[in-house]
Amino acid sequence: MTNQEIIDWKIASFANNDSSELSEEMKNHLKQNTQLQEELSFIEHFWTTDVKPVVMPSSKLDANFYQMLSRAQSAQQHSVQHETAQLALQQNGYGFSSQERPLSLLDKVKNWLTPTPIAQFSTLALVFVLGFNLNQSGSNRMDNSDYIGLQQEVSSLSTMLAMSMLQKDSASERLSGVAYSRQTDLSNPLLIEQLIELLARDKSTSVRLAVINSLSQLQSFGSSEQQLFTLATQEENLLVQIELCRLLLNYGSADIKNRLTEQANQQLLKPQVQEFIQAQLMAAYI
Amino acid sequence: MKKALTLSIVALLAGSMQVASAAEKNYSLPLSKPGEPVSIEIEVYRGSITVVGYKGDTIEISAKTSTFSGKDKDLKKVKHKMNKNNSSRSTKGLKSVKSQSMRLEIEEKNNEVEIISEVSNQHVDLVIKVPQRSSVEVELYKGGDINIDGVNGGLELESYEGMIIAKNISGPIVAETVRTDIVVSFSAFAKTSPSSLTSHMGNVDITLAKKVAANVSVQTYQGEIFSGLDNDFVLVDEIKKSKKGQKQKIVLGGIMQAKVNGGGQELSLISYSGNLYIRKAK
Repeated sequence: MTNQEIIDWKIASFANNDSSELSEEMKNHLKQNTQLQEELSFIEHFWTTDVKPVVMPSSKLDANFYQMLSRAQSAQQHSVQHETAQLALQQNGYGFSSQERPLSLLDKVKNWLTPTPIAQFSTLALVFVLGFNLNQSGSNRMDNSDYIGLQQEVSSLSTMLAMSMLQKDSASERLSGVAYSRQTDLSNPLLIEQLIELLARDKSTSVRLAVINSLSQLQSFGSSEQQLFTLATQEENLLVQIELCRLLLNYGSADIKNRLTEQANQQLLKPQVQEFIQAQLMAAYI
Repeated sequence: MKKALTLSIVALLAGSMQVASAAEKNYSLPLSKPGEPVSIEIEVYRGSITVVGYKGDTIEISAKTSTFSGKDKDLKKVKHKMNKNNSSRSTKGLKSVKSQSMRLEIEEKNNEVEIISEVSNQHVDLVIKVPQRSSVEVELYKGGDINIDGVNGGLELESYEGMIIAKNISGPIVAETVRTDIVVSFSAFAKTSPSSLTSHMGNVDITLAKKVAANVSVQTYQGEIFSGLDNDFVLVDEIKKSKKGQKQKIVLGGIMQAKVNGGGQELSLISYSGNLYIRKAK
């Protein structure tokens, strides 16, 4: 039983409105870990608090919070990149600039604390995540596993934010949710489910197009591919249909590409979509 | 909603709809929580909507309604059905009574305001003055345009037949039209959430104030893009593919992006067949 498993379980139970209690094993693990208890109560507070704009104390607080999270993620990505540079070079062949020096932990904390006091809430949340991971290691020295842990925590936080924002009434906030989903590794099946649900039903074309853009980051569509294919062939909104076809043609399996091409050849799609698919196929041969 | 609209149409045809009559009313709506954020939701089936931000703390509503004369395709269909099923009644000895009723629902609770006119035979021109900080959501099905001026809160605008014109705004804004243009002038640009302007077949025309920092994304399939920005647009799909190590492909209608003043929050402009215009304010 790991902390991450308990955090994921908590997020999933909120997303599903599942009020079931923690298992005995989880409870025992939780009893021995006060930081995890605090983290869970933070998640619970975040999830259950109504954050509609009309009751927000300040939209500036909102702005700073997202800005801070973005900065923290950016700083964390730089650090992870540095620590795992050799591994990355071996595995992926990605280069790493020698001029990019990762910030020290102290510098990062300093950077986070520099904005106005109104950002205290967001700063505390992030410092807590950092502190939580540092304490987990039992050592003051940050090693690679700390960074990976931090990355997972930030990804969990982004997943939580994304899933929460995707449920908002405001299209702009749902767009924020989609943007946050891009900052996760899209490994949470509930998040993918929620994104596809939005893609199928959201009234805003902008949100639906943003979701398609987000899904292009997936390594594989897996079991969602058939669902995406059905959406692509039955979609009435031309813009959404074209982008779904683009998504499947660029990142789908060979089978799906063939089936989509077949649909176009048999003139089962809108003329504009058929034209688009033909153009994409032509371009692939060039 | 559909059922309600159908009932309204039926009621309309059963009554007199030959002569348009107008009514004009003004309301001043005090807020429950002055000084606090305000959200306004406006839903109008037929008409035009103008929302103007001002420094006051009440909602000032001016509504001008007139009876729709019934040349709508939907109404014709219903009328045809009605004639089939109901024989017309004699009006001999009767005189026509001009309708002067106004159906406009206004509701306020905890600074959340709803203004609704869902009657299909009523054309309503709304002019609403709202506190500048208000967030505004507008849905207009038929008739004229949506006009917004000087509102600093979030905007969500949807017009099925008319244009969307918003000036002196800072967003975030999510706007969508089908065949008509979206024209937006940003005096500032909110960092809180992304903004997106989508017109399926119309043009999207934006003007950015000098200080606005944003990542402007553009995507059109059959239209053209005209930019007055200093920075060039770069194909975003291209970057994604090289990141994944996939081979380069020509992307038709792919997303292109330009950073304005170093970049910032996302601003997407999308159209299938319309042109996209990106201007810098002088």
